Amino acid sequence: MNSQDFIRRSDGLDSKTRYHKSIWRTIHTDPPLLVGISLLCGFGLLVLFSASGGDVPVVQRQALTMIVGLVVMFIVAQFNVHFFRQWAPTLYAAGLALLALVLVVGVEANGAKSWLDLPGLPSFQPSELMKFVVPMLMAWYLASRPLPPRFKHLFWSAVMILVPAGLIIVQNDTGTAIMVTMSGIFVVLLAGIRWRIVIAGFIALLLASPAWYIFLAQGHQKNRILTFWDPYRDPTGAGYNIIQSQIAIGSGGIYGKGYGEGAQSHLDFIPESNTDFILAVLAEEFGLLGILFLISMYLFVLIRGSYIAYAANDMFSRLLAGSITLTFFFYVFVNMAMVSGLLPVIGLPLPLMSRGGTSVVTLFIGFGLLMSIQTHGRSKSI
Amino acid sequence: MAGKWQLKDHEAERAMFSRRLVVAAVFVLLLFAALIMKLVNLQISQYDYFSARSDGNRLHSQYVPPARGLIFDNRGKLLADNQPIFNLTIVHEQVEDLEVTLDYLDTLIDLSDDEREQFANRLRRNRVPFSSVPLRYVLSDAEKSRVAVNSYKLPGVAIEPQFVRQYPLAELTAHSVGYVSEINRAELDSLDDEERENYGGTNHIGKTGIERTYEDLLHGTVGYEIVEKNNRGQVMRRLDRTDPIAGKNISLYLDSQLQTAAEAALGDFRGAVVAIDPNTGGILAMVSKPGFDPNLFVTGISSKNYGVLVTDNINTPLFDRSTNPYPPGSTVKPFLGLGGLHHELVDYEFTIEDPGYFRLPGVSYRWGDYTLRTAIGGGHGHTDLQKAIYQSCDTFFYDLGNRMGIDTMHGFMSQFGFGQNFAVDINYARTGVLPSRDWKRETRGEPWYPGDTINSSIGQGYMWATPLQLATAASIMANKGKVIQPRMLKAVDGVPYEPVINDPVADVVVNDPDYWRYIEESMSMVVHRAYNDVFREYGTAYEAIAMADREMPYKMAGKSGSAQVVGISQAIMQSEDINVSDLNKDHALFISYAPAENPSIKPQIAIAVFVENGEHGSSVAGPIAKAVTDAYLLDILQIDFEALNSGGDELLSLVDE
Repeated sequence: MNSQDFIRRSDGLDSKTRYHKSIWRTIHTDPPLLVGISLLCGFGLLVLFSASGGDVPVVQRQALTMIVGLVVMFIVAQFNVHFFRQWAPTLYAAGLALLALVLVVGVEANGAKSWLDLPGLPSFQPSELMKFVVPMLMAWYLASRPLPPRFKHLFWSAVMILVPAGLIIVQNDTGTAIMVTMSGIFVVLLAGIRWRIVIAGFIALLLASPAWYIFLAQGHQKNRILTFWDPYRDPTGAGYNIIQSQIAIGSGGIYGKGYGEGAQSHLDFIPESNTDFILAVLAEEFGLLGILFLISMYLFVLIRGSYIAYAANDMFSRLLAGSITLTFFFYVFVNMAMVSGLLPVIGLPLPLMSRGGTSVVTLFIGFGLLMSIQTHGRSKSI
Repeated sequence: MAGKWQLKDHEAERAMFSRRLVVAAVFVLLLFAALIMKLVNLQISQYDYFSARSDGNRLHSQYVPPARGLIFDNRGKLLADNQPIFNLTIVHEQVEDLEVTLDYLDTLIDLSDDEREQFANRLRRNRVPFSSVPLRYVLSDAEKSRVAVNSYKLPGVAIEPQFVRQYPLAELTAHSVGYVSEINRAELDSLDDEERENYGGTNHIGKTGIERTYEDLLHGTVGYEIVEKNNRGQVMRRLDRTDPIAGKNISLYLDSQLQTAAEAALGDFRGAVVAIDPNTGGILAMVSKPGFDPNLFVTGISSKNYGVLVTDNINTPLFDRSTNPYPPGSTVKPFLGLGGLHHELVDYEFTIEDPGYFRLPGVSYRWGDYTLRTAIGGGHGHTDLQKAIYQSCDTFFYDLGNRMGIDTMHGFMSQFGFGQNFAVDINYARTGVLPSRDWKRETRGEPWYPGDTINSSIGQGYMWATPLQLATAASIMANKGKVIQPRMLKAVDGVPYEPVINDPVADVVVNDPDYWRYIEESMSMVVHRAYNDVFREYGTAYEAIAMADREMPYKMAGKSGSAQVVGISQAIMQSEDINVSDLNKDHALFISYAPAENPSIKPQIAIAVFVENGEHGSSVAGPIAKAVTDAYLLDILQIDFEALNSGGDELLSLVDE
């Protein structure tokens, strides 16, 4: 006997009698989440069309990626979330094996040796998988332990997070490593880790950062941090992106210059205007109101995600849903803060807005898990 | 294991999770709030600043250079055209590393050190930031495509079309029309602020000749435009534009056919020909030979090509022989003779007995007769003014000059433009020297000696005149004293141009108008008086002109001259591959006008020919003047003298038009 069985039994006593089956539940789809995601996707394509200078193939490819994402989300949602709980350790072990394999036979792209190009499969990044496999494993591990977690469990949690994160850093993909780490940490935080440990960890991090800066940080990382403090120390080099992006945002004003009228982006003053810096295009053309509209759509998705976490039947589902939602927020915030000059430049895309392939599909797997949690074995209606 | 088992308190854990969720939500809202504050700061508080920065990024004001006015000859043939070329230009501000870029361009289009240096000079000049500076004018198609293909590696480098001057007649108009070339520092500095603004988009300025004289007419007014440029400096849109005003098209009196004929007539000689229409003052031809290709200068002459031009001490192609002075020699005699008649020092009956030399009373020095020095001894014998002109008797003029005195000579000769520049729009022409007591005292610090007057009376000594001045004097003679100052510009944008002359030159008036006829007759005899039984009573140019062309349908009034070479540079004297004796030969001169002595038609063309080291005025310079006159009267104007001489008055009116 294990704790999982116990949980299941205590929770689902007379679920069948109150079960109210709607069409959405039958196809395992959560309508509010779907609406929020669809709105974001639509807005994202609209902005991308302008940012790419009216490049229809680029927009079509992005739309196709999103449709693939929706299909993947739909498929993931058909599985009961407990299926993932049972398979979490296996998935984790497989993920680690693939990460190790990448180190041996990985393919390099954009400076990160993180791609696997196995025969018979489309090439993909195992590190992307870890973004949801790590929180899945953490939720599996901590949900079956008494909460708040004890120090011993925290130690093993740290090991389970840092081993894949370390492997990803070795691949030279710091951004993904941070995301994987954060997705694990969010589980630990939601699992009720004691505040004094959190605060102690935070202080330790603060104290360690100068040492990191002096001994470990690479040249381009130091440069990014220096540029963050003063973009004008190298206005045509390292500071160029952030200066031009701030000019674009600032010159957008409250109402923006109008759709397709963003001079900064259309005259190519914003590098990466289709990907990491797409917010600058949006801010220039739609102004502060456009950004507030975007933030409110993100908030809508975040609120729905939080509700799913809150309303979930078991601790595994809660922790997983909470982590997925907070990771999504983390993406959104880091990118927006970076583009507006609130944080140093970290190469992270803006979810559902930036052009991209694998990372978009990963996002939809997360949404699929949320929908699975919401629509499987739930006694209460929405 | 069982000992460690602890029953989970699901309700407590659930409550704890919910609390954590609330804490997370608070953090989320706080972070979003911070983000929104940052955006409010950027988009509202600093909106004006960033808005200006955005405009500054993309909006650039640039000059639009005006099209330079074209130059036509008197029958609409292009003398100066504008041709499109493609330049390679660089915007310094947009180039990351200039040296690297230049090195890379070198692999594409082979930059010479010369080009790099010229480019560096252009960069140092006063210029608007973000303006494009030419690196290479005239890219070939192959070079253009090599640069275009690699343009993504070359931010700030562009291929720009431009219209530049092109001179279809090249050498033929090198001196008279002149050329434009890249504007230099000194020229920019000499402009006032407004003018400098007007040259903001212009790379070229008229350097010599007409191009320089009428720079103001030809240049036009600069325009402006505000353009939107992208990150790589490419112009994406034009937002506002003030069109430039093109320079005016001008027509000259110059006739390219006559110009060609004059150049051809000079043959292998170095020299100059100036031809003037006495009725209008229009300069029909102005040739200095050898010329050079002015097109070389337009896009920046290479130092190698320039070296060739400036080190040629013999041919001195850059030197404009038509507007630089030489001793006029015997060509001054008809004017001096007219002065003698006017001042009643001689009359039609006056004669001298020429022994072949002249002596001042009480002085033993003999002024020999240059025209006779190679011939058999003795003088011209019984000689009146007419014979003194057609035989070019020095002794007669020594005597006349001596009796006239330098003051009278200066006063009379200056009316014909000697020592002055009568030309309306050739301000670069030299004035030569018409010596006077004051002139000698000022320039030499010496008093005037009677012997100086003797030398001056045959156009030697201190007297210097340019071919342009000689042609001017000949045209005044042809007009019987009426002065129509020489000019180049005939029309502006098709409208006949009448120059404003602030200080017009007075006509030459003599006591008896018959003197004009008498001198014309004498000059006509120079060309037409045939050999006869009497010793030395033929015209000096008869053999070379009228005898050589017995069919000559019109009469030509002329006067030959030869001038001693004054000083040859040491460099040339010591050079071994130059035949110095050739360079010691006299310069040959000839002035003429035609048709002469024709009751039906006024003279149509006055000419001065100067042949460097031509030796014989009559036999070398004379036929050149004849050839030019033929070309004008017979080929260009196509005057039918036969019909004219048989009394067709209606034809006269045709020619006058």
